[in-house]
Amino acid sequence: MRVLDTGIRRSTSACLRVIRCGVLVLGLTTAATSVAQDCFESRQNASKVTVKESADGQVNVKCSETTGGVLWWGDPYDATVPMGEMPIEADYDHGEAVVKSRTKQLAMFPVCGTACHNGTFPPPNDDKTPRTLTMHTDVVPDATNLQHGRGAIWCLDCHHSETRNHFTDHSGNLIDMNEPQKLCGKCHGPAYRDWRGGLHGKRIGEWASTGKKRWFVCTECHNPHDVQQGERNSGFAQLESEPAPRLPKGLENADHERHHGGH
Amino acid sequence: MTERTIPLTNITDDLPCDSAVEVCTPGEGKPESGITRRKFVKNTSGMSAASLLGTAALMTNSDDAHATSEWAEWFQGNYRLMSDEEKQEAVDRLERRYSAEYGKDVTVDTTPAQEGVLFGYALNIQKCIGCRRCVKACVEENNQSRGEAQETEWIRVLKMEKGEFSEAKMGEGYPDDYGIQVGGNAYTAAGVVIEGEHYYEPEKVPEEDSFYMPIACMQCEKPPCVKVCPVRTTYREPDGIVVIDYNWCIGCRMCIGACPYWARRFNWGEPNLPKDQMNPVTHYLGNRPRMKGVVEKCTFCIQRTRKGRYPACVEVCPVGARKFGNLLDPESEVRRVLASKRVFRMKADMNTYPKFFYYVD
Repeated sequence: MRVLDTGIRRSTSACLRVIRCGVLVLGLTTAATSVAQDCFESRQNASKVTVKESADGQVNVKCSETTGGVLWWGDPYDATVPMGEMPIEADYDHGEAVVKSRTKQLAMFPVCGTACHNGTFPPPNDDKTPRTLTMHTDVVPDATNLQHGRGAIWCLDCHHSETRNHFTDHSGNLIDMNEPQKLCGKCHGPAYRDWRGGLHGKRIGEWASTGKKRWFVCTECHNPHDVQQGERNSGFAQLESEPAPRLPKGLENADHERHHGGH
Repeated sequence: MTERTIPLTNITDDLPCDSAVEVCTPGEGKPESGITRRKFVKNTSGMSAASLLGTAALMTNSDDAHATSEWAEWFQGNYRLMSDEEKQEAVDRLERRYSAEYGKDVTVDTTPAQEGVLFGYALNIQKCIGCRRCVKACVEENNQSRGEAQETEWIRVLKMEKGEFSEAKMGEGYPDDYGIQVGGNAYTAAGVVIEGEHYYEPEKVPEEDSFYMPIACMQCEKPPCVKVCPVRTTYREPDGIVVIDYNWCIGCRMCIGACPYWARRFNWGEPNLPKDQMNPVTHYLGNRPRMKGVVEKCTFCIQRTRKGRYPACVEVCPVGARKFGNLLDPESEVRRVLASKRVFRMKADMNTYPKFFYYVD
């Protein structure tokens, strides 16, 4: 969708020079509106959401035309499932908690545990040295240089060695793919504690501590296969920003604000 | 019922709608209560003010929602002093008018503050990446004017340079020329007098060596804007939200001058709000469409928060930097922030006691 938009904009500007291609622009625009609009929630290329209209004319989300990010939730609980039981480490929130199901978004999920990863294949490497992947390189471009854990962890520290459509805890028990917090909390204690208390991460829905909220889980904001993000090391991938405010009338650029402060 | 509160919205008859309102279709302008103009004038002929208003309505020679409500609005009281009955009349009138103007079912809410609720806001300045989604979500939710002629945004995001104590920057940039320094350090005068870059537009955010500071209304406990308002149209609600009754605002802009946070915006021209982008769920003191010549500002999304929902900017933040909740509830997210994080308030020395807190992990 984003690519298509940019394409139209480019061809529009080109068309200003060649007037007779107006018909083409019209055709492209029609094609764009007929495609269902997709945008992303927190992480680009992940947490995709499709705009749909409910019976009363309300939309589930509104998307930014410039960046393709969600700008507004009509229904904060759209496509969510109950978060499920969480271990009680402290006195945390008692409100109703829902999450967006990750497994429903993975096209191959229903078959991946049987078709390819059947428990014995592919055989895990006993010495914890990752081999070069032949598949899933879109997710992990270079398995021998995983951008998480600074070389101290490898694939099967998180993914269950036999039941590949689940994660694993320290004792080899299964963790559902919809509950990555149970996995990430193994190492990231302080962040996990803050997340349980509502200080870290994001929730949408009702503000009351007893209200119903949709909790965003770890992987909805962070890319577990690339948390280091090169030199920035902030845990977030960089995003395109929404456009700057309009300049006051009569001002041609914003150079003035760069002259203040630091010399 | 006083003379002033006669339901002028009922002065309609069976004539077809006036063409001044585009979306008006025959039948829509019919009175709900069945009172025709003739009946109305007859029933109230003994009351001088009412007769005057009746005549005025006749003089406008239209039955459209806009004209009648505009006349009635001139005689409307200060929202704080209105009785429940008067509020209901005002709301009915506005709903009819907005619905006709925007071609959809517009609701104007008057939900009062809840008992035992004091709203508070916390923003993790370390997490903010400066993507400006909150700014645009706010516009989406709160029916601000958009477009080239007049663009109104309640939140502004400032980009500031990250201060550092480095060898290379020793002895440079001491901010004596610039007054109060609020960011950076003694060697790197970033954020002097809360000046940062407002119009930054890099390819991707966050940029290295930058941090971002979103600013909107701080919902002060002692709001300077309220102190200076000569007509007392802006005031603080019991749940801590500083609101404006747009109908009572005279547009003097004293509050804009008094606000230390640059939180208020003025409608210099008629706001431009496209029909298809208009949010029909509104509150009288919040996001209902404004008119030319009135001041507006952030209300913590009063139309949402009074109904239990998070403000739009909290929900949209892609990094979860924004927290909102009840300051009187120890279990709420803001209270937990206050209890366990390092917190500061902007321009705390002004004694405005903001209900908006900045924090770092």
